Parts: sequence; structure tokens; C-alpha cells
Amino acid sequence: MTAAAGDVARGRSRGRSASRFPGRSPGRAPSGLVRGGGGGARWTLAALALYVLALCVLPLLRLLVEIGGVEPGAAADILSDRATLRATRHTLEASLGATVVSLGLGVALALVLSLVRVPGRAALTFLVLVPMLVPAQIAALAWLELTGPSSVLLGALGLAPETGSRNWLYSREGIVLLMGIEHMPIVFLAARAGLRAVPGDLVEAARIAGAGPFAIVRRVLLPLSLPMVLAGGALAFVAAVGNFGIPAILGIPGRYTMLTALIYQRLSGFGPSVLGEVAILSAVLAAIAGLGLLAQAAAERRAGAALSGPGGGLAPAALGRTGWVVAAGLACVLVPISVLPILALLGTSLVQALGLPLTLETLTLDHYRTVWDNGAARRAFVNSAWFSAVAAVASLAVAVPLAWHVVSRRSRLARLLDRAADAPYALPGIVVSIAFILAFLRPLPVVEVGLYGTAAIVVLAYLARFLALGLRPVAAAFTALDPSLEEAARVAGAGPLTRLRRVLLPGVAPAAGAGALLIVMSAYNELTVSALLWSRGNETVGVLVFNLYDEGDATAASAASVVAILVTLVAAALVSALSRWLPEGVLPWQA
Amino acid sequence: MHKSLAGIALVASASLLPLAAAQGADLVLYTSQPTEQMEEVLARFNEQHPDVEVEMFRSGTTEVLNKLQAEIAAGNPQPDVLLIADSVAMDRLVRQDVLQPYPEADVSALPEGQYDPEMHWFGTKLITTGIVYNTEAGVPTPASWTDLTGDAAEGQVIMPSPLYSGAAVIHVGTMTQQDAFGWDYYEALADNGAVAGRGNGSVRDAVARGEKAYGVIIDYMAFGQKEEGSPVDFVFPEEGVSAINQPVAILATAANVEAARDFVDFQLSEAASEQAVAQNYFPIREGVAAPEGYPDPATLKILPLDSEALIEDTEALKRRFADLFGG
Repeated sequence: MTAAAGDVARGRSRGRSASRFPGRSPGRAPSGLVRGGGGGARWTLAALALYVLALCVLPLLRLLVEIGGVEPGAAADILSDRATLRATRHTLEASLGATVVSLGLGVALALVLSLVRVPGRAALTFLVLVPMLVPAQIAALAWLELTGPSSVLLGALGLAPETGSRNWLYSREGIVLLMGIEHMPIVFLAARAGLRAVPGDLVEAARIAGAGPFAIVRRVLLPLSLPMVLAGGALAFVAAVGNFGIPAILGIPGRYTMLTALIYQRLSGFGPSVLGEVAILSAVLAAIAGLGLLAQAAAERRAGAALSGPGGGLAPAALGRTGWVVAAGLACVLVPISVLPILALLGTSLVQALGLPLTLETLTLDHYRTVWDNGAARRAFVNSAWFSAVAAVASLAVAVPLAWHVVSRRSRLARLLDRAADAPYALPGIVVSIAFILAFLRPLPVVEVGLYGTAAIVVLAYLARFLALGLRPVAAAFTALDPSLEEAARVAGAGPLTRLRRVLLPGVAPAAGAGALLIVMSAYNELTVSALLWSRGNETVGVLVFNLYDEGDATAASAASVVAILVTLVAAALVSALSRWLPEGVLPWQA
Repeated sequence: MHKSLAGIALVASASLLPLAAAQGADLVLYTSQPTEQMEEVLARFNEQHPDVEVEMFRSGTTEVLNKLQAEIAAGNPQPDVLLIADSVAMDRLVRQDVLQPYPEADVSALPEGQYDPEMHWFGTKLITTGIVYNTEAGVPTPASWTDLTGDAAEGQVIMPSPLYSGAAVIHVGTMTQQDAFGWDYYEALADNGAVAGRGNGSVRDAVARGEKAYGVIIDYMAFGQKEEGSPVDFVFPEEGVSAINQPVAILATAANVEAARDFVDFQLSEAASEQAVAQNYFPIREGVAAPEGYPDPATLKILPLDSEALIEDTEALKRRFADLFGG
């Protein structure tokens, strides 16, 4: 699950109503009555403020200070350096290209799946979302295993490229294609939400006026859902700009260096002496992502204006036997992009040695055993489980009271904190990790404890990065709660904290659970943050896969990837099981 | 609310405890040797020292060193022992004053030049960098470094990056110091479409899987892959090879000097040397035979290296390489 996937959930809830926390009109929520809690609530808010400031705000401020401290001349040198310019150009062109791929695929798939009643629609929708569940570094690995000369799948069909031929994925086009597919679900979800929000009476009016189905799509549905589509496209662009796994695995050997890979290479190749330089590079990266976020915000404002009424007027058309043809056509697109790469990965993880065909004789579980026997690898799985669990529990412990202060108590400070929590999530992960290195490399003043090189720095960075992911569902759930319940409790004499505990918390518990699982899914396979923050004993699954591949152990890397994908799918299944109790829009893939 | 918040905070911090506890190993080793090999090495070491629990961090030499530099900046250097690719990097650390000497180390079996005269670092094996090629790619068998800039190798060459690998720093440093090659050679490689991967492992993989026909690589990786059955072979180019000696050293800040010295003693022992041979390394000790099928180490032609000059030039070399090959 990519970081941006959660943005979709947020985008959707925002897009529908244009404002962040809708639904509580003054008439519905007797805010004056709910307000004015005891000192306990105030202290909680103060603690929340401290938490968000320390984790989400200060490290990013420290990054700004570092950039401000670089001499203007030196900064100009870095910015005009050939490598910087090249990487910036590459980031822009590859991200734009990937966005075009995401838009084309995502809109087409959303149109077909929204307008036509195809058999197996749920399964097909799941296939559309698979790329989002597979982390970028594993996707890159899987595609290389699928298309390379030693491809087990293509080899079995006699279609493997000639030995000695260069895998064309190591190129700008390869990066564009893979990032485009990886972030396609973001566009798909946004487009689907946009299509669903189109009021039914407009479609009906067009039909009565004599418009055919294609005219309705072209003249009514597409123009009206365009702002949502563009918002999704902008998010896909931001995700591509911040992508690290694909530019690292394809771009570094392909001599197509993007900014994220350049920052990583500079830091790992030249060490802490270039921190000022990478701070500037990460500012460039953040600025490009910022442009995308501005575009997204603008598009969402328009979406809110265009589609303010109730939507849902769109009934998928039944096509009878033609439906099967459409389903088969969709499968022809979706199986190659969602299923085959994973099968190729599985094949590589089972074959005795690279380059051999997969037969009963060469089939082996040795590579899984290698991973299991490797202490660092085993530890990586344990670490990622811990890190993501701690991030999920702690983030929800903060998200629930914070969302309560924002939604129910309408606290302005809480609203500011909520906005601040967005920054580390919306910005590219590598920017967050540079900020954390700068903030925590030197031993902390007073206590003289260094966090760099400990698990704490990884966990703290996760807390900063994923808080927003936990806040979204919880805030949506608080918004959706019927205010009369709380009102009744108040009349019965319950104080604000009692009401929170007895009335509100049970109501938001499923959303909190979903938020926790979303955080686990994102953090478990996360690479962009931990790539720069990990240390001995504190390896993560993302780092493990990346390092195994890097070391040239593609078979063990494939085995570890297969296990990592399984964990993600289990988490996705668990969270889907919760979906019945969740407000709409919490789960990005909710049908 | 207070209580439940505090409770959650307590649970959260308690769950961090096992992570903190995981830090407490007896001996912390930073190395560039592949993980799988190191697990075997540590198993053998633990046969002799069952009570020493070793924690290992593995990456390319350049990355290992930069991680260490970051930790030194954080006032928190982790390793007791370093086992990295090359002695030039070790000499840089000696200048930085972060290594401690081990004057009592047994260097009787080591040839001169393969250990620091001031006893800070000690070579553990001999590793050369030559050419690997894919035997099924239908390309000419390489004989010379210049074959990699020829037409048959256009777009077919991959090499490790000095931004990651210590062996690559030495190799690029050695090649660019030769009158016959110099940076012109690397410009020619770049013009011929050669690419830089990260470590030697990425080179081995690209050639074994047939993505590239030729690779610049350290010897044992190519031989190991050949042994596994992949269609690859290794060539010692006629002009000569660059060489490194995978030195081991003890940090000045080592928390467990005794265990660190035990590890150095083990690395210098005949048993370790024999294990290295079994792992396809040239032995560095006199009197240990090379792996089967290898040439006699004495017959190897090793290109000369001015390590003093390279100590000064390493950063500039990495910059220049990055400019040519990206990254």
C-alpha cells in the first residue's frame, strides 16, 4: 500500500463536500453546549499539541533551518549542479509521464467498471487495486523477474528475451510505466468517486433530451467528474515524485537518476558531510510535490462546487452476454499488470538458480529457508511487525482524542494540529527521513541521548508520517456519529470525557481499527523512510528486500517479497472484514 | 480518558523495550562481506567462542563507512570491529583516529603490505577485480579491459559503483592511475553505454540473468555463481587486475575489546583462511592453496596502486564517477 493510497480516502471525503469536516452545521451540533469541558480535556489537548509539534512540525522546521544555513553561493552551486538539474528534469518528466499512464488506465477502468454491470466485478475491482497493495520496490523487482531473460514465466512459453539483451525496464519508459501502474489505483478511486457523485437527474435529463450512452459519457459524466479525476491525477503525480523503490531499482542501474534516488545515493555514497546538500535536494523534491498538492487542492475545490448535491444516480448498465466480453477484455488488461508480476516473483523464489527453467527438478524452497535462516532477515520481519504495530497503536491513541477535539469540540488549535499532521504524510517520505536525520543525528541537548542508530528514530519517523493515515478514518467516523446520542448523554448528566468514553469511542472503534490496519499496511512494507534511518538490528522488511536485491540475491529477495505481499494481503483482508461498520470512504477500495 | 491515554502510552513504550534490548550484543561487526557468507563465518567463529554473540550490519563498504561516519557524528559509533573491502578506507580511518591498534595480533603468516605497520588493520583475503561474462550471450570471450569499450560490448557492460562498493573505489582508483587507462577509459566506457549498478552483487546478477553480457566484478562472486550453475565465467584481463585485501580492524571506541581481538585472531587464523578458500576466495596467508580451478596467486598480475594518492582523492573520484555514470 503506497502512502498516497490513503490520500485517496481523504480526497474522497473532502471531495464530496469540499470542506474537511463537514456535516456539523450549527443547528445539528449544539456546539455551545458540548463545549467547555473540564481541565482534563484541556490537558489532553496540550499533550496532543506537544506530540504533533515534536514529531510533525519540529523536524521539518529543522530541515528549513539547515537549508537556511547553507551559504547562498554553495546553495546556488548545488542547485545548478549537472546531477541536480538532470535528476530534477528526470523527476518531472517521469512523474508527469507516469501520471499520464495512471490517468489513462485509471479513468478507463473506472468508466468501464462504473458504467457496465460486468460479471466478477468485485474480483476485477480487487485486481485494479492490487498495484497499490504491492510496495514499489517489490513491484520493480517483480516486473524485472517477469520481463527479464531469466523470466520463469516467459521462459516456459519460450518467449523470454534473448540472453544478453538488456531489460528495457531499466529506462525512463520502464520507470514511467511501472510508476504509472503503481499509482493508477489512486486515479481509479478518484474517478470512480467522481462518477458516483454525478447526480442521477442530470443523467436522466440528458437521456430524455435524446443523448445516447456515449454522448452521456462525453458530455455529462466526464465533464462533471473531471475535477475529481484531476485531483486524483495530481495525487498520482505527488506519489510518483516521492516514489523511491522504482527509481532506485530501475533508475540507478539504468542511469536515469531521479531526485529520490539521487538523495539516497548522495547520502549513502558521501556520508553525513553532504547533509546540507541533500537538505537542499529534498527541498527541491518537496517543492515539486507541493505544486502537485496545490493542484490537487484546487481541483478538489472545483469538485466540491461541481458536485454538491447527492450523487449516486448512476446505475451500471446490464449488457447481458456482452458483459462477459467486457469482463474478458478487462482481465486481459488486469492480469498482466496485477497478477503476472507476482507470479513471476513467486517463480523466481522457487527456482533453484537464476536462468534455469522452473521444473519439478529445479523447484525448491531453499530460498525461503535462506531467508528464514538469515538472522537479519528474520529480524527484519519481526522489526517491521513491531514498528508498524507501535506506529498504529500510538497514532490511534493520538488520532482519536485529536479528531474528537477537531470534530466534536471544534477546537481551532486541534484543527491546526490536524493540518500539521498532514505535512509529513503528504510530503515525499525521503524528505521526512532527511528531516529526522537532521533533527536527531546529534545527541539531544540536555539528556545527551543520540537517537540515530536506534529503533527509536525509525519508529518516531513512522509516528510522524502515518498519523494522518489514522486521523482520516477516525475524523470521518466522529463526523458521521449521530449528535443526538451525545446530546442525550449530556442531558443525562454525563461530562465531556464520560460522553467521549461511553458514547463516542464505541462509535468510532471500527474506524480506529481500520485506521490502525491502514497504518500497519503502509508501515510494514515501507522503504522510503527507513532506507535512510535503519541501522544494525533495526532493519525493516522494505530495507531487507532492497538490500537482498542489491546484494544480488534476487532469489532470496523474491522469497522475502512473496512473504511481505502475503502479510499485506492478510492485513487488507482483515480491514475489509471491518468494512461493514465503517463510514463510507474510509477504505480506499471499499466497493 | 486520561487513564486510557496513559495506559496506551505505557503499552506503546513497553512494546519498544524489546527493541532496545535487541541492541545488547557482545560484539558488533560492520562488514561488506555478503550476508550468507558471514553467517557461515560467524558460525565457525562461534565454534571457538560460543559465548560471544555477534551482531552484524552488512552493506557495501562505502555505505558501511558513511553509516559509521553518521554514527560518529551522532556521538554513538556502534561497531566494535570493521571487516571491509579495502585498506585505503582503513588508512583514512586511521588518519581520523577512530581505529585502535592491536600490536599483539599474529601477523606471522601475512605477507608484508597486507597489514598496517602500525597494527591498526590486517588483511584477511585476497580479492581481485576482473571481468565476468555470460557464456550463452554469444559475445566474444573478453581478454583485455579495452574489450569493454569495443563494439561487441556496446550497451552490454555493467560495473559496481564506488558510491557503494569499496572494491569499486580501489578498482576505479587503480585504473584511473594507470597511464594506459586514466579517466579517458571511463569516458570511453560511458560513451559505449556501460552502466553502474550498485554493489558487485548487482553485477553478478545482471550478467547471470543475461541482462548484460559483461561485468566488472570481484572474482569470488563470479566463480561462486558459476559453481551454482549459471552460464557465467571469469577472466583475469591481460593488463592485470586490481586487488583488495578485505582488512579487519578494531574501533577505538569498541565496547568489547577482548571479543574484538578474539574476532581479529580468528580472522587471521588458518581455519578462517581455509574457510575463505571454501567460499571461493584467494587465500592471503602463505601456505594455503587457492580454490580449485584458480590460478596460483603468485602468477597474478596486479596493477600498481598509489594508495597515498587515493586516500586524498577518494571523494573527488566518487564525484567524478557519479557525474559520468549517474547518481
